[in-house]
Amino acid sequence: MKKRIGLFFLLIILLTISCGDNFPVIEDLGNTDYRLVDQYANETVFPDNIKGKIVIAGYIFTNCPDICPLTTNNMRLIQERLKGEGIEGVQFISISFDPDNDSPEVLKKFAEIRNLDLSNWTFLTGEKPVVDELMKHVGVLAVPGDSTVFPSGKVSYYYIHTDRIQLIDEEGKIRKNYPGSSINIDEIVNDVKQFVR
Amino acid sequence: MRKLFVALMPLIAVAGINFGQQSAIKINNPWIRISAEGSNTALFFELVNNSDQPDTLFEAESDLAEVVEVHETYKRENDMMGMRRVKFVVIPPKSVVIFKPRDLHVMLIKLKKDMKENDKGVAILIFKNAGRIKLEAVVRNMPRMNN
Repeated sequence: MKKRIGLFFLLIILLTISCGDNFPVIEDLGNTDYRLVDQYANETVFPDNIKGKIVIAGYIFTNCPDICPLTTNNMRLIQERLKGEGIEGVQFISISFDPDNDSPEVLKKFAEIRNLDLSNWTFLTGEKPVVDELMKHVGVLAVPGDSTVFPSGKVSYYYIHTDRIQLIDEEGKIRKNYPGSSINIDEIVNDVKQFVR
Repeated sequence: MRKLFVALMPLIAVAGINFGQQSAIKINNPWIRISAEGSNTALFFELVNNSDQPDTLFEAESDLAEVVEVHETYKRENDMMGMRRVKFVVIPPKSVVIFKPRDLHVMLIKLKKDMKENDKGVAILIFKNAGRIKLEAVVRNMPRMNN
C-alpha cells in the first residue's frame, strides 16, 4: 500500500513538472487585451487570439537588416523541428514594434518572400500607442538609433532593440526569454516539450 | 573617330573596376539575405588580403538598392542589439575579415526589386589600395546560427 501511495505522489510530481511548472512566470498577459491586426489586415485581440495554445513569440521590425531576419529564421527552424517531431498545438507570433512602417501588407510580403509556413504563424502590428504599451508589458525595448538619409531627403531610423523570442504558456503567461537571433534551438524545443500535454 | 569613342564608352566606363582576379584582395562566398522590394537587407562575404600591406574598405556601391552603406551590428546591455554605419574597415596584411550575420555587413537599403532565393546581384567594393572590386552575390535564405 505504501508503495502505491509513493508511486501516486511520484506520478503527481512528474505530471506537474511535465506541465512546465518549473518555469517561473515572468509576466502574465492573461488579463490584458491589445487590439492588433494581422498580416491580412484582420483585427485580432492579443493575447486572446492565442489562449489555449503554447506560443513562441518574436519581436521584429522589417527594416532591420540583420537581427530580426535572424530571429525570424530561427522561429522557422523551431517550427520545422516541432513539426518534424510531431509536436502540435504550438502557435508562432511575430509582433512588429515599428507599426509606422510595418503595415499588414509589409508584414505579409516579409513572410511571403521567406516562404514561411503561415498555417500556425501570425504576424501582428497595430496602432503605435497600443504596440508601445504591449512592448512595455512583454519587456521589449525599441528605441530609434542610427539613421539613413535618402537622396530625397527622407530619413529612415533603425531601432536599437531587445533581441528576443519568448515562450508563452496556454494561459498567456510569459515563461522564458531567449536571445532571438542566437537562440539555441534544442533548448527551446526541449522547453516546449515540457508544456505539451 | 567620334563613332569609335562612343563604341568604346562601355569599356572605358568599366576600366577602373577590378574583377578580383589579379587583386591583392580576394572576395569569397558573397551572399545576400533574401528580402522584399522596398525593404532592407545585407550583403555578406569574406575579404582575404594576401598582400604584405593592409588595405581599407571604405565604400560599397550597388544598383540593387537606393542607398548602400557599410554597417556593423553591435550588442548593448540587457540583450539590446543595434546597428550603425562604419566609415571604414581595415583588412590587415595576410588576414581574412569576415562580413557575417550579427557582425559587419554591407547594408542594401530600400531594395529596388525582390531578392528571392538563388537570384543574383552585383555590387562593387571600394578599397584604398585595391580600388574597385566587383562581386556577384547569390541570394540565400539564412544558415542556421547555432546548434
